[in-house]
Amino acid sequence: MTRLLERPLVHFALAAITVLVLPLVLRSGTLASEILIYGLAAAACNLLLGYTGLLSFGQGIFFGLGSYVSGLLLLRAGWPAPVMLPAVALVGAATATAVGWLSIRRQGVYFVMLTLAFSQLFYFLAYTFSDLTGGDNGLLNVPRPRLGGRALADPWSYYAYVAVLFLALFAVLQRVALSTFGRTLLAIRDNEARASAIGFPVRAFKVAAFAISGAVTALAGALHAMLIGVAPLSNIEYHTSETLLIMTIIGGGANLFASVLGAAFYLVAGDLLSAIWPRWLLLLGALLIAIALFMQRGLWGLVERAAALVTRAPAEGAVPEESRP
Amino acid sequence: MTYLFQILNGIGLGMLYFLLAVGLSVIFGLLQFVNFAHGAFYMLGAYLAYAMVERGVSFWLALPLAGLAVAVLAAVTEAVLLRRVYKQAHTFHILATVGLALVVQEIVIIVWGPIGGNLAPPEGLSGIVILGDFVYPEYRLFVIAFTAVLAGALWWLLEGTRLGAIVRAGSESAEDMALLGYDTRRINTAVFGLGAGLAGLAGALAAPIRGVDPFMSVEALSVAFVVVVIGGMGSYAGALAAGLAVGIAQSLMATLWPEGARLMIYLGMAAIIVMMPRGLFGRA
Repeated sequence: MTRLLERPLVHFALAAITVLVLPLVLRSGTLASEILIYGLAAAACNLLLGYTGLLSFGQGIFFGLGSYVSGLLLLRAGWPAPVMLPAVALVGAATATAVGWLSIRRQGVYFVMLTLAFSQLFYFLAYTFSDLTGGDNGLLNVPRPRLGGRALADPWSYYAYVAVLFLALFAVLQRVALSTFGRTLLAIRDNEARASAIGFPVRAFKVAAFAISGAVTALAGALHAMLIGVAPLSNIEYHTSETLLIMTIIGGGANLFASVLGAAFYLVAGDLLSAIWPRWLLLLGALLIAIALFMQRGLWGLVERAAALVTRAPAEGAVPEESRP
Repeated sequence: MTYLFQILNGIGLGMLYFLLAVGLSVIFGLLQFVNFAHGAFYMLGAYLAYAMVERGVSFWLALPLAGLAVAVLAAVTEAVLLRRVYKQAHTFHILATVGLALVVQEIVIIVWGPIGGNLAPPEGLSGIVILGDFVYPEYRLFVIAFTAVLAGALWWLLEGTRLGAIVRAGSESAEDMALLGYDTRRINTAVFGLGAGLAGLAGALAAPIRGVDPFMSVEALSVAFVVVVIGGMGSYAGALAAGLAVGIAQSLMATLWPEGARLMIYLGMAAIIVMMPRGLFGRA
C-alpha cells in the first residue's frame, strides 16, 4: 500500500479519479473547475518547489499573465481558444525564463525575496498599463471556448473542457518529472554543489524548470479567465502567488498529485468556511503555522500515514527528510 | 525647486524604508530567519497608533507605545511559537510567518474593519514650514529628524554597545556564542522584538502620511525585500543607502510619471540585479 503510493501511475490514476469524483460530490461546476485549474497551477509550482528546491513567490505573475494574454487574444485579436492556448503557454514560458534567469542570480532567501519583488513588479505593470489590462476592473467579457459552434456556457460542460486539459497537462508535468531532466532537478535540489561538480549546467536546468512551470501556470490562468469571464487584477497580485504556494505546501512536497490535493483542500475549505465566517483566513493562518510545526509533509504525509496504518507497516515518509540547508 | 521638494520627501520615505529593512536585516543576520510577518508588524504599529490617537491619546505618547507594544508582542510570538520552527528548512520559516501575517491581517480586519482610516498629523506639527521658495509639511520634516536620530541611536546600539557586539558575534556564529555561555535564546527573542518593534515604529510614523489599511503590510514587506536585496542582508549601511536610494527614486519618479512611481522601484531593482547580482553592499 505504502509502496503503491509512490508510483507515478497511481498519482495519475488519483488525478483521473479526482476529475470523475468532483462532479459527484460538488454542486458547483465552477468550484470543481477551479479545483482543477488551481490544482494544475499548484502542481506546476511544485515542479519548482518540490523537485528543484526553488520556493517561488512569483507564480501569480504567470497565472495573471496567462489570464490577461488569453483575454487579449480572444477579445482583441479574435483568436479561437485552440490557437490562443499555445500562444499563452509560449508567453508564460518566455516570461518565466526571464523572471527565473534574473531570480536565480541570487540564492536561498534572496531568491525568494526576488521572486516576491518581481510579482510586485508585474502587478504594478498591470496596474499602470490599464488600457491593456483594464486596471482595477480587470479585462471584462472574456468568452468561453466554443465547441461544435456553441460556447461552453454551462459550468459542467466547461468543466469537461478543463478536465481534459488538466489531465493532459498533469501527464506532461509527470513526464517531465520522471524524465532524465526531472531526475537532474532532484539532484540539484538535494545537492546543488554536487550536481554542478558532476558537470550539469545547474542554472540552465533551473531556468528550464521555471519555463515549464510558467507555461503550465499561464495555461491555468487562461482557463481561469475563461471560467469567470474576466481577467482580474487580483490574478496577478501577491495574493495569488501566496495562495498557489500555500496550496502546494499544504499538499506536501512528495509528488504532483499532492499539490492537486492541497488545492482541493484549500478551495473546498474556503468555500465551506467563508460561507460561515468571512474571516476564515485567520484559521488558514493558524493552520499554516501548525503545518510548519507539526505536519511538514502536508496532506500527502497524512495519506501516507493512513496507508501505513491500514497495512500496519511503518510509514517510510514518517521521518521528516527536510533539513536546514 | 520641485526636485528639492521631492528629494526631501524621498529622504523621509527612504528613512521609513530603512527602519523597515534594518529590522528585517538584523533578524535575518542573527537568526537566519526570513520574517514574512515583518509587514504585518509594520501594519500593526500603524493601527495601534491610529487606535490610540482616535481614543484621544496624544500622538507623542502613541508613537513610542505603538512601537513598544509591537516589540513585546513580537518577542512573545518568537518565544512561544517561531523559536520552534528555526530548526526546520527555510520553507517552513516562510510558511509559519506567512501564516502569522495572515492571522494578524484578519485580526486587524475583525477589530478595525476592512476599510482603513486616516490619521491627522499631531498637534503642533500639522502646519507647514516655509523654506526659501517652497512650503513643506512640518510633520514630514519631523519624520526625517526623528528617524535620523533613531538611525544614529541604532548604529550606536549595534556598533558601540556590548549588546550590539553580542548580536554581531551571534550573526557570525550562534554556536560559538552558546559555547561561550551566552543565553542565545534570550538574545534571539530580544533581537526579534527589536526588529519587529522598528517595523511597528515605521508603521506608526507612516500612519499620518499614508493612513492605515489592512493591506498596507504586503507593500511594506515587498519594499523591505527590495531594500534588502539591493543593500544586502545583515548590512546596516546597505539598508540605509538602499532605503534612501529607493525612497528618493520613488519620490522623484512621482513628479515625472506618477502612475509608474512604484513600478520604477521594482524595475530599478531588476536593473541592479542584472548589473550587480550581489547588491550594492552584499558579501555573499
